[in-house]
Amino acid sequence: MNVLLNEMAEQEKLKHFIARIDAGEKIEADDWMPEDYRGTLIKLISMHGISEIMGALPEKEWVPKAPTLNRKLGIMAKVQDEMGHGQLLLRVVEDLLRPFAKKREDLMQDLFNGDLKFHNVFHMEAKTWGDAGLIGWLVDGAAIISQTNMLGASYGPYSRALHRICAEEVFHAQHGEAIIMALAEGTKEQRKLVQDSIDYWWESLLLFFGPPSKKEVGSSKQDVTIRYKIRTSTNEELRQAFFSKYVKRILSLGYTIPDETLRFDEESKTWIYQQPDWSKLKVLARNEGPRSQDRLKLRRISYENNKWVREALAPKVI
Amino acid sequence: MEPRQEAYFEEFEVFSRKTKSAPVQYHYSLLAPNEDIAIMMAQENFMRREAVDDIWIVKRQNIRKMTADEKKTLQRMDNKDYRTTKGYGYLKKKWRKYEQDMLDEKEIMSWAGGVKNGE
Amino acid sequence: MENESLKNLAIKELLLQLADDDFIHAYRGSEWLGLAPHIEEDVASSSIAQDTMGHAVIYYKLLEEIGEGTADWLAHDRQAHERRNAIILEAANGPGHYMKDPDYDWAFAVVRNYFYTQAKAIRIQSLQSSSYAPLAEVAQKVQMELYYHLMHWKVWFVQLLGSGHKEAVSRMKTAIEKTLPDFAGIFSLGQFGEEMVEQGLIEGEAAIQKKWIDAVTPIFESVGVATTFEIGMEKGDGRNGVHTEDLKTALDTLSEVYASDKAASW
Repeated sequence: MNVLLNEMAEQEKLKHFIARIDAGEKIEADDWMPEDYRGTLIKLISMHGISEIMGALPEKEWVPKAPTLNRKLGIMAKVQDEMGHGQLLLRVVEDLLRPFAKKREDLMQDLFNGDLKFHNVFHMEAKTWGDAGLIGWLVDGAAIISQTNMLGASYGPYSRALHRICAEEVFHAQHGEAIIMALAEGTKEQRKLVQDSIDYWWESLLLFFGPPSKKEVGSSKQDVTIRYKIRTSTNEELRQAFFSKYVKRILSLGYTIPDETLRFDEESKTWIYQQPDWSKLKVLARNEGPRSQDRLKLRRISYENNKWVREALAPKVI
Repeated sequence: MEPRQEAYFEEFEVFSRKTKSAPVQYHYSLLAPNEDIAIMMAQENFMRREAVDDIWIVKRQNIRKMTADEKKTLQRMDNKDYRTTKGYGYLKKKWRKYEQDMLDEKEIMSWAGGVKNGE
Repeated sequence: MENESLKNLAIKELLLQLADDDFIHAYRGSEWLGLAPHIEEDVASSSIAQDTMGHAVIYYKLLEEIGEGTADWLAHDRQAHERRNAIILEAANGPGHYMKDPDYDWAFAVVRNYFYTQAKAIRIQSLQSSSYAPLAEVAQKVQMELYYHLMHWKVWFVQLLGSGHKEAVSRMKTAIEKTLPDFAGIFSLGQFGEEMVEQGLIEGEAAIQKKWIDAVTPIFESVGVATTFEIGMEKGDGRNGVHTEDLKTALDTLSEVYASDKAASW
């Protein structure tokens, strides 16, 4: 009898929860939420957060090398923001993880074990100063498209963090544009840096938005995130938005895109493009990308090296 | 036995105000081993692009929030005009009969800094 | 006439010392990005590295104004022997490279940052009454940002040295023993030091060093650690262009892109 009552209560709670979401209300950390909502948020935001932390690394490689004082300052501030975004997002996840008694060090361990994934783009190499610029311009551009899509997320803490993050991303995109613009208007070698970067990063940019549906990689979280009003558009819609915003900008600077089939089809109002090699996403998810292991190692070293600091300052009562 | 590392990461809630007269506002939370380090982290983590006049940090465990049930106690009916000036608006008409202006909120608040003498 | 040119030389040398100190110090700070003990500290200490590089830019701009070359040229295109920073500031953060196996030492970072920031605060105080007006003006502005830098590193210094945690205390003491033998390089004014003092550009080395010892002594005492402050310049005087391999490696890295085309606009 009691079991039945509890079940009834669960049903009631779920109904109430869905009604709140449908009414556009925000769910807060202490509110009741269905397990799959919590689970979906944890997966999504922990990957987002740790990707910011890992994403600081490719650009960090170029911080000391930035070619002018102003560029050194700009890219330092940008990498700082990436770490800051990681901070904001990991705090959101850490609060969601409370029922499981998991904390930040568990997230770090998950990352080291390979259980917690980070975005495909941050497994790639940043070989040149052109790549440092392109990451700011197009990778952050892609990130802005996918993050603004979730600004109205039903989960309040995520939505609030995203508002702050997106505002800072505007600076990032302009920082990237400034680097690219200087190169595009520069010498032949400088111009070539940008073309080489576009050629290297193009496929990663398409992969970034995720597969159009389940059939490309076997699973996709997009249906549940849309149902729970965490985001509004599908992966494919976001990728199309990226084409719409960036293709003409790339071309306007006199650069080419490494896809001869790319065109806007007036009739269907969609971009036709060469599908990327979706199997690469699985390779990267196994941390087998060009720089996956190096970057993980860097994180692991810094975590291990500073262990004594955490131990020394841990309050003694526990 | 290895000491428990979790303790390094205490949760602190961060508040600040922009100017001396502004209300204190909640920002975000951060992890730090103690108050002194937490307050040092606060500005650069959350307010590195904006003006700030003061920062407060509070250990999360010292904040008592309302439960979902307790939040139900915050609802009330819309029948309490007697508590506000709205319930006394009719006085304006009354005073007019005696050829007097009503001492309404706008008038009274304008006395800040002194009342001008006169008829 | 000769006096005038000697004075100009002293001004130039002093500005180079100030600029090069902050520039290489900020560079070492920037190598720490992403590697600090926790994420919140990574964000906070990055602001300090940015501020510090901002200070270097201000001094390089003062040099630019007196015709010593552009700020970017001064920062990126001078050989090691032309640099005027103290040797302790160029020392690598630890073995390894910032991109590969960085075996960086947080204790050394905290000790060097605290010691340097305290010295910088005293120097800036003195510069506020410099006879060279542009520098006195700049010093007033730079001073504003030093409150935070100093508080930040002092808290870390006190907490780690005073933690009672065996490994932490031992690492901190090792870092102090590594820093002090070269720390006099910070106070040195180099071969034109006398001229600088005579012209009223800045207080003398001994006066600043004494103020520094007076400032840090109570901090050591507060955590019950005794020290005799054996301050020296074992590796030489960076103010006179003496430098180590660490600086050469850093210069190669920080000018890599710049040097690929010095005439280009970046």
